[in-house]
Amino acid sequence: MMNEYLPVISSSINDTISSLAYFQSEVTLAVGFLLVILSDLFLSKRFSQLSFGLTIGIVLLVMVQSFTFLNVENTSLFGGMLIMNHLSILFKILFCLVSLLFVLFIRYNRSLLLHEKGTSDLYAILLAVHLGMNLMAMSANLLMVFMALEMVSLGSYLMVGYISGDQKQSEASMKYALFGAVCSAIMLYGISLLYGYTGSLYLNDPSFISGLNNIPPMALGLALTMVLIGVAFKLAVVPLHFWAPDVYEGAPTPVTAFLSTAPKIAGFALLIKFIVLIKALNHTFLDIKLIVASIAIASMVLGNFAAIWQNNTKRMLAYSSIGHTGFMFMALFVAPGQGYNALIFYMFIYVIMNMAAFLIVDEIEEQTGKQNLEDYRGLGRQFSVLMVCFVFVLVSLTGLPPTVGFTAKFLVFSTALDAYNSSGSLIILVMIILAAISTLVSLFYYFKIPLNAYLKESISSDVRISITAKAYLSMFLAFLLLLLLVFPSLIQQFL
Amino acid sequence: MIPLSHFLMISASLFCIGLYAVLTKKNAIQILIGIEFMINAAVLNFVAFGKFDKVNGGGQLFALFAIVLAAAGVAVALAIILNVYKHFKTIDPSKINKLKD
Repeated sequence: MMNEYLPVISSSINDTISSLAYFQSEVTLAVGFLLVILSDLFLSKRFSQLSFGLTIGIVLLVMVQSFTFLNVENTSLFGGMLIMNHLSILFKILFCLVSLLFVLFIRYNRSLLLHEKGTSDLYAILLAVHLGMNLMAMSANLLMVFMALEMVSLGSYLMVGYISGDQKQSEASMKYALFGAVCSAIMLYGISLLYGYTGSLYLNDPSFISGLNNIPPMALGLALTMVLIGVAFKLAVVPLHFWAPDVYEGAPTPVTAFLSTAPKIAGFALLIKFIVLIKALNHTFLDIKLIVASIAIASMVLGNFAAIWQNNTKRMLAYSSIGHTGFMFMALFVAPGQGYNALIFYMFIYVIMNMAAFLIVDEIEEQTGKQNLEDYRGLGRQFSVLMVCFVFVLVSLTGLPPTVGFTAKFLVFSTALDAYNSSGSLIILVMIILAAISTLVSLFYYFKIPLNAYLKESISSDVRISITAKAYLSMFLAFLLLLLLVFPSLIQQFL
Repeated sequence: MIPLSHFLMISASLFCIGLYAVLTKKNAIQILIGIEFMINAAVLNFVAFGKFDKVNGGGQLFALFAIVLAAAGVAVALAIILNVYKHFKTIDPSKINKLKD
């Protein structure tokens, strides 16, 4: 028995060793995770900011390591478990950007900072989640897909429940953990069915695709739907969006900012893999285009219209992020062939503006304790500079000039129009029209904030406002949104 | 020799029982038990299908990983439920509704 495997062993060891060269950034994250935990245990008394510095250093190192592989060819690692290509590297750079902003956000958030547990564990969890997201972007095997997804999910549950200081926070974490566990259990069952149909776990194995082609469409549809439920939960799209507003409102604001960006983007990385797989099948029964299009339309319409009725700012931003996800679905739908340039560019901009919006909301909440839109009355005079930045960020979220949000939306719309002109498909036209309408609708709720801040009189007396590091960070991000309008090539040169 | 279809029927009914528990139970821990049912249904599937995949043993391996991940998930969820009990003095999800539209 053993002798049969001897030639296989040496070749698979060689494969593993040669794969390690491409696996640097993940090794850095894994080692960094341990280092942050150990430094917190043994050195936190003497150097209070050590884990913060370590985490920033590790994330920057991972960013540099990812950049060195920017123009990598399609490389299969660890016997086909992972596949690294240009697209997965772009996703990894996006994750680094989010992690970097999130670390700074944690560092300057007062409620996390003053909490007795400290923030070191949060940094450690972040690095583990980041590792999971990197694996999600590269995975080519169903086992890897599930493990990576669970790494991200478990870390996110812990982040939401990290403080659990009041009823709202603990409720948010419970809802998130229970919904998430149910969705991943359903996904696991779907994966087990796919494995049963094909006898293989490798997504781009020829026997996997030919096995799926021989399965009756009903059974295949059931299994694929179950798998996609797990992905759709991470993306928070209609019909699996209902947890998002509650969790976003209840979670600590930095965590909300993180959850509304990074796991979503990682979900897209996975979704792209499954859509490529489904397109490779020759079933006519399962119309994946129709499904993606209807999800895009439903998310855009529901997200943007529901946001109008919200009073809590974080809840409003949660619904708006559902709308943005729908918009990204449209970008995914119209992506020609293998090019996802418009989608990736939109994601970069979305990360910057979403993080900036939550930073400012958090800053206002910490200085004045105001969370609701109607309490923002008269804040324009108190937070003069910050409010101007907020207006720029909101203009960018709507997608109007003079901010780069306009460029991002414009790119998606022009790709969609190209797709419509070349295919003449009615559903793309419907999607474009509804996207335009929901962009218009988003004006109503985004502009409630400047309306309240500038045009209505404050009821309370003035609070003393100090400019903090968080305010400077959000000013920088708002400036970036203006700068990128003039120089979009700063991002586009990498796509 | 038990045929494959028996395993599949048991796992499908386990999955349905789990889903039923998740949808109807008024206790967060019972919901967690339902989730465990669903995960174990999938694990049973993996092991049953793995019998026909002797070369790679993918199914057996996946079953092991799924069990470990389920244990980790339950540990996190129980800690969170404990926190909820501290604040609400109940773990009935229908009574925990401070967050809503």
